[in-house]
Amino acid sequence: MDFLYTYIVLAEIYVLLGLSTNLLVGIVGIFSVSQAAVFGVGAYVVAHLMMAADPLSFIPSLVIAAACCVALNILVTLPSLRVSGDYFVVTSFGIQLLATAVFINWTAGTGGANGLPGIPPPDVFGLSIETTQQYVMLCTAASALGCLAFWLIMRAPFGRLLRAIREDETAVAAAGKNVLRAKVSAAALAGAFAGTAGGLYATFLSFIDPFSFDLDASILLLTMIVVGGARTLAGSIVGPFLLLALPQVLTLVDIPTTIAAAARQLIYGLLLIAFMLFRPQGLAGERL
Amino acid sequence: MNAYMQVSGLDHRFGGLHALQDCSFTIEHGRITCLVGPNGAGKTTIFNVITGFLQPDEGSVAFRDRRLDGLRPQAIVHAGIARTFQNLRLFADLTALDNVMIGIAGQFGEEPIGAIFRPLHTARAQKRRRHEALGTLDHVGLADRAHDVVRNLSYGEQKLLTVARVLATGAELLLLDEPASGLSTGALDAVMALLRRLQGDGKTLLVVEHNTRVVQQIADEVLFLHQGHLMAQGTPERIISDPALAEIYFGGAL
Repeated sequence: MDFLYTYIVLAEIYVLLGLSTNLLVGIVGIFSVSQAAVFGVGAYVVAHLMMAADPLSFIPSLVIAAACCVALNILVTLPSLRVSGDYFVVTSFGIQLLATAVFINWTAGTGGANGLPGIPPPDVFGLSIETTQQYVMLCTAASALGCLAFWLIMRAPFGRLLRAIREDETAVAAAGKNVLRAKVSAAALAGAFAGTAGGLYATFLSFIDPFSFDLDASILLLTMIVVGGARTLAGSIVGPFLLLALPQVLTLVDIPTTIAAAARQLIYGLLLIAFMLFRPQGLAGERL
Repeated sequence: MNAYMQVSGLDHRFGGLHALQDCSFTIEHGRITCLVGPNGAGKTTIFNVITGFLQPDEGSVAFRDRRLDGLRPQAIVHAGIARTFQNLRLFADLTALDNVMIGIAGQFGEEPIGAIFRPLHTARAQKRRRHEALGTLDHVGLADRAHDVVRNLSYGEQKLLTVARVLATGAELLLLDEPASGLSTGALDAVMALLRRLQGDGKTLLVVEHNTRVVQQIADEVLFLHQGHLMAQGTPERIISDPALAEIYFGGAL
């Protein structure tokens, strides 16, 4: 049963990341391949605050981590205001590589490649979350709030504005709207989602290392959006649940553990290509 | 009392191309002014300068005694001037209604905090705005296409929709870039009737137009632009009957 709960917790954390990526990539059209870096910063910040000599409790740590990620995501998205489309992908790619390099080499801050063990479990308003079952409730609540926020935004004028920006920024400016402010707001929100996901992830696993936040992770997030479906709430939920089920399914197939990870990457890559070619709208989304 | 809009000494270069050269003219309130001239005369460049998409190298634009040059496009819309584009620039994946609603100024829930934390207020405000936008669509004759996605609209309907979108901004001076080009006779009549209606509503129009028949029928005043310079300003009859201008317009002179 714990096996299933673990899957649900991870999938729900990835739903938050899916919302973050979908907001930027699907809705505003800022093709970011560095969302895992922001996710990582959220995880490391929460880990540090909760493991400090004078530790903070979970909720304040999460709030601070989310705030850091809001600032960081605005910063890394800013180049998209100057360079558009394909060029931003290259910039974003560079940001992801830079973040991975910092995560691996800044041993004093991140524990380097060995990772950061011993992150305490979260406490929510005095209640300590220790069993996996309690985690399921915490993550369900967090991802439900994330989904609610996403849904509210998409039906509000803000959502319409973001969709219009993806189609034609010049026309949005000609309609009297502030494109810069809308993009910064979207980046901030995506940062808050990613930071929250990072905090939940760090405390759930109690151990984090740079390889959870590398380029592969960013591409996994994009694959989730492509497979699940761009621009829709349903797509942001379906993608993570489906793709994270894949490793579990692979454990049922009799392949040596040494090639299991490689096989997983291979299947993710094939799925990404197949969906882009044959079903760009994903299972429950719109054409990217 | 100064002119409603005063454009003075505009100069703009694109590298070696002198797109606007000491271009000056005035626009009177409540009139339809047509901007004519051969291709490359600088008509669209004037639109871009007035609406803040291009900064002039020299010269100024004053609207109701307020300097506009140096302002960003969205500030110029708020000052009361909105434009359409020759290539329409509609949001093709959105519905006609959503295209119009993008134009409406000062909507609640246009930023995430309001949208997330005051959803009911956002929804109520949206309902009023939707009503407003439907009225605008009705005004241009597109009420029955409100919920259709733009890419399914005919070219003529899309042209009308661009006008609806600038109307939604509440601007009083509308800059329309070739609203009648490429239209069938029926659609052309619909656009001309609409421009007359807008004038009746108290709007002031500056219209880039190539079709001399359209210019004769709708213009109160014509600005003739050639090589980035204002050659003549006057009634349509006077401009169209001027042989020197006709020579420039229909070719020959360089």
